[in-house]
Amino acid sequence: MTTTVERRAVRAPDHPRPVRRPGRFRRHLWSYVFLIPLVLLFGGFTIWPMIASWWYSFFDWDGVGSPTEWVGLANFREVLQSEAFWRAFWHSFAFSLAAIFVEMPLALVLAILLNSSWLRFRNLYRLVLFLPVVATTAVIGIVIAILLDPAGGLVNRILLDTGLVDQPVNFLGSTSTALPTLLSIDVWKGFGITLIYWLAALQTVPKDLQEAAAIDGAGFWRSLRFVTLPVVTPIAIVILLLVFQRSLNTFDLVRAVTEGGPDYATDVVPTYIYRYAFDPSLQAPRYGFASAAGVVFGLLTLVITLLQAPFLGRRPSGGKA
Amino acid sequence: MKIRPALTVLTCAVALALSGCNLVGGSPDPEGSAGQVTVTVALVPDPPGASEFYRQQFDAFEKANPGIAVKVLENPSDQQLNAVELMFQQGNAPDLFRAQDDGMDRMAARGWVAPLDEFVTPDFLARFPKGSMDPATSGLHRDGKLMSLPLVWGPWSTLRVFLYNEDLLKKSGFTAPPKTWSELERMATKITADGQGKSFGYAPTAAKAVAVEMLADTAVPYSVPASGIDLRTGKPATASPGLVEAVELHRRMQAAKVMMPGWESWDGSRAFKEFAAGRLAMYPTPPWHVAEVRKLAPEIKMGITGLPVPDAGRGAYLPLSKSFSPLWSMSAQSKHKAESWKVLDFLSSDAFHSAYYQKFGTLTALEGAWKADAEKNPDQAAILKVAQETMRRAPNPGLASAGGKAITDALAAKPDLKSTDAAFSSIIKNQPFAPAAAKLDQQLQTFLDQTTADLKAKGKTGSAKDLTFAGWDPLKDFTPGG
Repeated sequence: MTTTVERRAVRAPDHPRPVRRPGRFRRHLWSYVFLIPLVLLFGGFTIWPMIASWWYSFFDWDGVGSPTEWVGLANFREVLQSEAFWRAFWHSFAFSLAAIFVEMPLALVLAILLNSSWLRFRNLYRLVLFLPVVATTAVIGIVIAILLDPAGGLVNRILLDTGLVDQPVNFLGSTSTALPTLLSIDVWKGFGITLIYWLAALQTVPKDLQEAAAIDGAGFWRSLRFVTLPVVTPIAIVILLLVFQRSLNTFDLVRAVTEGGPDYATDVVPTYIYRYAFDPSLQAPRYGFASAAGVVFGLLTLVITLLQAPFLGRRPSGGKA
Repeated sequence: MKIRPALTVLTCAVALALSGCNLVGGSPDPEGSAGQVTVTVALVPDPPGASEFYRQQFDAFEKANPGIAVKVLENPSDQQLNAVELMFQQGNAPDLFRAQDDGMDRMAARGWVAPLDEFVTPDFLARFPKGSMDPATSGLHRDGKLMSLPLVWGPWSTLRVFLYNEDLLKKSGFTAPPKTWSELERMATKITADGQGKSFGYAPTAAKAVAVEMLADTAVPYSVPASGIDLRTGKPATASPGLVEAVELHRRMQAAKVMMPGWESWDGSRAFKEFAAGRLAMYPTPPWHVAEVRKLAPEIKMGITGLPVPDAGRGAYLPLSKSFSPLWSMSAQSKHKAESWKVLDFLSSDAFHSAYYQKFGTLTALEGAWKADAEKNPDQAAILKVAQETMRRAPNPGLASAGGKAITDALAAKPDLKSTDAAFSSIIKNQPFAPAAAKLDQQLQTFLDQTTADLKAKGKTGSAKDLTFAGWDPLKDFTPGG
C-alpha cells in the first residue's frame, strides 16, 4: 500500500522576519544550569576557604569571632623563620619523593605485569594490592604499632629469630628510623591507587598498535619502549601530579602512627598546621598563624609543581624501531 | 519544554536546598515531649566506660526530674574544646560542657561561661571540704565569681605516685622500691638485665618527657618543669640543677637501654597496660593508672609509693596550688539555666560522686562519697598516704593577681618555651640537656620582657613581680601573705 502525501506549498512571507538565532549563552543555558551546584559547592568548600585563609593569615586570630588584630606579614615572617616549619616541609617533601621515585615506578612495573593477558588470577592480585587503599588509616596505625613494637612485636621477633639483628629495631621510636618507616607504610598504602592509575593508562594503548609492532618484529622491551610508554606518557603526567599532590599532603597516617614524633622526626606540614590550629594544650589556638603556614605551604607546592612543568611537557622522542 | 519556568523551579530548589543546609546546622534542639526541657551536656567519653556511665546516671536524673531531658553530646578528649567552641560560634551552644583546667579559662575569656553564684546555696557549698570553695584558692572562681564545678578530689590532678611490681623487684633481689634517683637507676638497670628482653625495669609514663617533670617536682619548685619559671624569684630556671639532673637520669637510662624500648611513641594508656601485663617493673604516674592496672590485672602485686627523690634529698613537694580543677561549666548562652543548674547540682551530688567512685575508682571532689571506702581499699589507702606525705600547698600566680593571670596565660600560649620538647630530645638523642636549658632560659627571659612591655602598652598589669613569691619554701605549706 502506498500513500501519497501531498506536500503543502510553503508560502514565503511577504516581509521575511529575520530569524532570531539564540545567543551562545542561551544555546548552552542548560549546561550552565547543571554547573550551578558544582560551582556553588566548589566555591563554598574550596575557593572560599582558600581566600579566607589568605585573609586570616594577616591577623593574630584565635578562630573565634571576627579577626580584628591585623599583624600584616608578621605571621608569614614567623613561618619562614621557623625551623620547625622547614623541618616539617622537608618531611612532607620526602613523602612526595618516595611516592614519585619508589611508588610510581614499582606500581608501573606491577601494572604491566597485571595487564598481561597470560597472567592467571589477575583480578585477585589487583584486589589484594588495592586493599590497603581502602583500609582505615587509624586501624593501620594500631596494627603497625603492634607489629613494629620493639618489645615483642612480630616484625622484631622475626628479625631477632632469623639473626638479621641482634637488638630489636625501634622502628617508630627512633628519630633515625621513624621517618623511613612511615615513608614505607605510605608507599605501601598508596601503592594500590597508583597501580589502578597505571592499569587505566595501559588500557588506553591500542591493541592494533601492539600487534603491528609484534608483526614488525618488536619484542616485549622494544614494544614497551616504542609503543606502550609513548602512548601512556600524557596520562603518566597526570598520574605524576596526582601522586605528588596526594603524598605531599599526608596527614592521617602521621597522626595515627606517630603524631609527628618522636621529637618531631616525622612532623609534616599538615600536622604542623593542625598543631597550631587545634592543639587543645594551647590556651588560644593560632588560626591566623596556621593559615599563614597553609598559604606558604600552598605557594611552595605550586612552585614545585611549576618547576616540573618543562619536564612534564616533554614527550619521549620514540626513536626508530 | 520551556526553559524559564524550569529554570525558576530549579533555582528555587537549589535555594531551598542550601537554606535547608543552614537550617539543619543552626536550628535549636527540639524540645522534648510537652512541657519538657532538654538540657544539652557536652562531655568526653573518658575514662573508658564513661559513655554508658553518664547515660545511666542521666537516666536516673530524668526519672527524678520528669520535666528535664538530658541530651549528651560526646567528643573525643582532644577535640572537646574545639568542638564546643564551634558549637558556640554556630549559635548552638550546649547548656553544660566539660572544660578542664586551662580549657575553662579559654571558654571564660570569650564570655561563654555563666557564673554560678546565683544558684549556689550554703547547703550546696557545705558538700565540699571545709574552706575548699574559698574564691581566692578554690581554683573554680575567676574575678571572685564561681565559674565551674569540680569532679575529682583536689590533689588528684597534681598527685603523682610511683608504681612497682613487687614480684619483678623480688626476682632481681629487691625488697623495697627505690627511695632515691640513684637507687632507681641501679634497680632499673638490674631488673632490665635480668628480664632479658621479656621485662624491663623502668619506662617513662608516655612519649614526651612527662616522667622527667614528675621526678623533677621532687627536686625543684613545681613551676620550673611546668613553665620554666622559679616562683621564688620570678626568673627563668629551666637550667636548675634539679631539672637538669632529672633529664640526665633518663638520658643515662635510655643510652644504657635500661628503659622499655618503644616508650618514645607510647600513648597515655600504654604504660599501665605494660605494667599490668607484668612486663614493666616501675614507673611514675598520675594516680588514675592505679585503677586501670587493677582492672586489667586484679591479682598483680602492685606497690604504690611516693616518687624517688634526688640523692641530695628532697628539694620540693608536689604542689597543691588550688583546691580543685575546674570541670563542669554552664553556658552563658543557655536558655534553660535553672534546669541546667539542676543537672549541675546532680553532678555535684553525693549520689553521683559515690557512683563515679564505685565505677572508676577515682577519688572525687566530695570526700564524704568515698573516704570511708577508700581507707579500706589498699590501693586507694596507699594513694591517700602518698598524697599526705608528698604534697604541700604552693602559690598559684594565676589565682593570686590579675597580672599573674595575664603572664601565666601568655606563658601557656607558648608551649615551645617549656622544657618538655628539649628534655625529650636530649633523652632520645643522647645529648646534654644543660645547654638547651640555658638557651630556653634566655628565650623565656626575652618573652617575659616582651610580654610585660606589651601588657603595659595595653594598659594592663603583668610582670615578673607577679610571678614572685619570695617567702615561699617549696618544702613547706605555702600561706598566702605568710
